[in-house]
Amino acid sequence: MTVSSTISSTTTSAATALQLEGISRRIGARTILEDLDLTVSPGECLALLGPSGCGKSSTLRLISGLDSPDRGRILLGERDITALPPARRQVAMVFQSYALYPHLSVARNLSLGMEIRGVDAATIARDLDAVLELLQLGELRQRRPADLSGGQRQRVALARALLRRPQVFLLDEPMSNLDAQLREELRPQLRAILCGGGAPVVYVTHDQQEAMGIADRIAVLDAGRLQQCGTARELYHRPATLFVAQFIGRPQINVLQEPDGSLLAVRPEHLHAVREGGLQVRVVSREWQGASQQLQLDTARGPLRWVCDGGRSIGDAVRIAWEPQHEHRFAAGGRRLTA
Amino acid sequence: MPASPSAQPIASQRGQNPRRWTLVALLLFWSLAPMLWQLYTSLRTPDALLGGLAAIGRGWTLANYGQILSSDPPFWRYLLNSTLVGVGTTLLTLLLAIPCAYALQRRGGLQRQLVDGALLVAAAFPSVLLFLALLQLARQFGLANNLLALCLPYAGLSLPLAVLLLEAAFAELPRELEESALLEGFGLWQRLRWILVPLLGPAVASTAVLVFLFSWNEFPIALTWLSRSELLTLAPAMARIAGSSVFSVPYGAFAAATVLGSVPLLLLLLVFQRPIVAGLTQGAIKG
Amino acid sequence: MGVVLIGPALLLLLLVFLWPMASYLWLSFHAQNLFTDLQPVPVGMLNWHRLVLDARFWQDAAQTLRFALVSVSLELGLGLAMALLLNQRWRGRGLVRSLTLLPWALPTTVMALGWRWIFNDPSGPINGVIAGLTGSTLPFLASPSLAWLAVVFADVWKTTPFVALLLLAGLQMIPADLYEALALEGGSARQALLRITLPLLRPYLLLVLLFRLAQALGVFDLIVVLTGGGPASSTESVAGYAYLNAMRFLDFGYSATVMIGMFGVLLLLGGVLLLVLRRPARA
Repeated sequence: MTVSSTISSTTTSAATALQLEGISRRIGARTILEDLDLTVSPGECLALLGPSGCGKSSTLRLISGLDSPDRGRILLGERDITALPPARRQVAMVFQSYALYPHLSVARNLSLGMEIRGVDAATIARDLDAVLELLQLGELRQRRPADLSGGQRQRVALARALLRRPQVFLLDEPMSNLDAQLREELRPQLRAILCGGGAPVVYVTHDQQEAMGIADRIAVLDAGRLQQCGTARELYHRPATLFVAQFIGRPQINVLQEPDGSLLAVRPEHLHAVREGGLQVRVVSREWQGASQQLQLDTARGPLRWVCDGGRSIGDAVRIAWEPQHEHRFAAGGRRLTA
Repeated sequence: MPASPSAQPIASQRGQNPRRWTLVALLLFWSLAPMLWQLYTSLRTPDALLGGLAAIGRGWTLANYGQILSSDPPFWRYLLNSTLVGVGTTLLTLLLAIPCAYALQRRGGLQRQLVDGALLVAAAFPSVLLFLALLQLARQFGLANNLLALCLPYAGLSLPLAVLLLEAAFAELPRELEESALLEGFGLWQRLRWILVPLLGPAVASTAVLVFLFSWNEFPIALTWLSRSELLTLAPAMARIAGSSVFSVPYGAFAAATVLGSVPLLLLLLVFQRPIVAGLTQGAIKG
Repeated sequence: MGVVLIGPALLLLLLVFLWPMASYLWLSFHAQNLFTDLQPVPVGMLNWHRLVLDARFWQDAAQTLRFALVSVSLELGLGLAMALLLNQRWRGRGLVRSLTLLPWALPTTVMALGWRWIFNDPSGPINGVIAGLTGSTLPFLASPSLAWLAVVFADVWKTTPFVALLLLAGLQMIPADLYEALALEGGSARQALLRITLPLLRPYLLLVLLFRLAQALGVFDLIVVLTGGGPASSTESVAGYAYLNAMRFLDFGYSATVMIGMFGVLLLLGGVLLLVLRRPARA
């Protein structure tokens, strides 16, 4: 029994998967998305992660039908919805700005859509009460969006999405208008409300922590191309491309040029000091971060980052090394080379 | 980006500034004195008016208003006609301009730039040039001496400005609002009815007032389309009064007519000053 | 869907703007007057020859142009001053702004009638003041050299608030930090006006100039009521002449020719102004 199913006994949780097949989109000469394949299972939460302009928001707009792809198919279960107009796709989207109707009260914001869709008054009243209670919005029902805090607005937007009884939930950076602390508090709540029901959830963010905290799987996009899709653990331990290796994990992974032209990458937290052997380094600067400290190192093979817990100071000369199983090797083009 | 209201040259510091207050007083005198003079004239008997300031204590009268309100047709008839035409024109213009502005705004690109340019030219076009051809249309279709038919050319002439202003207002609305409604299953008319037009409230109000103002003031077309005196709108009625010798100098009844003809618009402007300024500002930016 | 949304408006626009101009063009090659029993008869270039040789048309054109240039210049100057004053922050600014806008809302014909009384000789208030100062009065509306000035005065009075309103909108778009930055560098208020305000206001000035010029060249209502075109047609405008030809002389062919001629002049003037004024704005 999921939270969203309590809203209405008639929730259409037909448990259908969302599938994108070979989706491409161009605007003029610019490639927005190139040959994108993705599958999101019923109840699964997939995060689309990448830098701004990577195509993650475009993907949402294609799924919702606000834009249409130049090539490829979008499937909901067995049904091809590529050509279906957005109003008939039964998807719910939470926009970055929340897109609440500023001239309507919270209750009106939530009920208007149901009225338009021809839901009968009794159901509207019942669902409205249920969702207001679920998201603790009961006392705010007569307020206008302008009188709500950022977190409250987000809850209203979520409530509106739930009332759509969608076959897919789409969320476009729903946390980016909130302050850092609130974001962390809201993550579990958001997950509890949306995920695990019948509908697939696609969650767009540029924040890897958020993606790891909320999503079951993460799809990393760069320049319109899917780099890798997997669990946070897979992305961290076996990045498929240099881009993923560098995008996932903070501080950023160290990259060393190998004599054969390939690239060797080791995470700063995987370095450790050794008495002899290894690499001779000198501490150039340091940032104290409480439980650990982050050092900038100068080495014969170029600068390195090192996260350690010891009390090193600037100017110290140390020898460092790493375990072979922590090495990631990439071809010059960025593709992963070995296991 | 709308700048803060503090956008101002450095010269303006707070505190008393005698030069500024002199200028403000001058400005107010310049703007209001002619109107106040009309009001004063309208309330004076002819003798008192010619008597100058010495006669200030006596000679106040409402007879001038009585005279124009009891003439044939009474003056309020013109006001009523103008109001009727104004309301009809405003409704028709909005009905046509809102969907048109919406569609143009959503279109974008070079096409829209061309259309906007053409609309700007049409908005600046001196409409007096059109009266002859429009008169021929009126004759052809039997539209002369029909107050509601007058709304047709008036709406046509108001459309360019109305569409430009509303287009600018549509552009200001966040796109997600409409997209959100679209995903919720709203049809086009439902989006306009429930989301877009309510949010455009101020812009619609200012456009409406501007259209009403235009219609209230329009002269050449009213002059040529209307000939029956009980159908005249205010502007041709004023011209007819001016051309007639019914009212003799010194103008007491004329002044009463100008006061009565002005008051509705002045009230409208004072009530809607804020949206008018906001609407014109928006339009000017885009234009 | 676009057709349903745009179609009706477009149809009306074509009917009201394009059709008249097309019909005038057609009519300008036809005689349609009392001699032809008000039926159009093709006459080739006859109307156009007449227009070129028509001294009254050229006199009216010169008068209209003079009126437009003088009144629009005054309106821009005064309107800018007014906008600068209203853009400063002082108590009661909102109310003063509303009150100064009032003349613009008055119907032209209404106020023109008012001006007739204000300019009256000898009983009008202006002549009252002049008589008090000099002992004699001025025949504002009866003298050709003064009548056109009275028309300019009335037009400036009515239209300056509108110019000020649009320029005020432009002024409020200028970010305050530009002025603050200049002040920190020791710039004077004069420099602020010349270096910041005027250059950034340029597109607004251009827009207002073109808009007002087109409207002023079409001046009609004001003159009809204030002077009736007199004395001795010294204040007659081109639009007034076209009206006279159509409605008094019932010479529709020639009236249409006059209007097309005026439209041509308008286009020419607008084009030249755009070319001259637009280019440096990019710098």
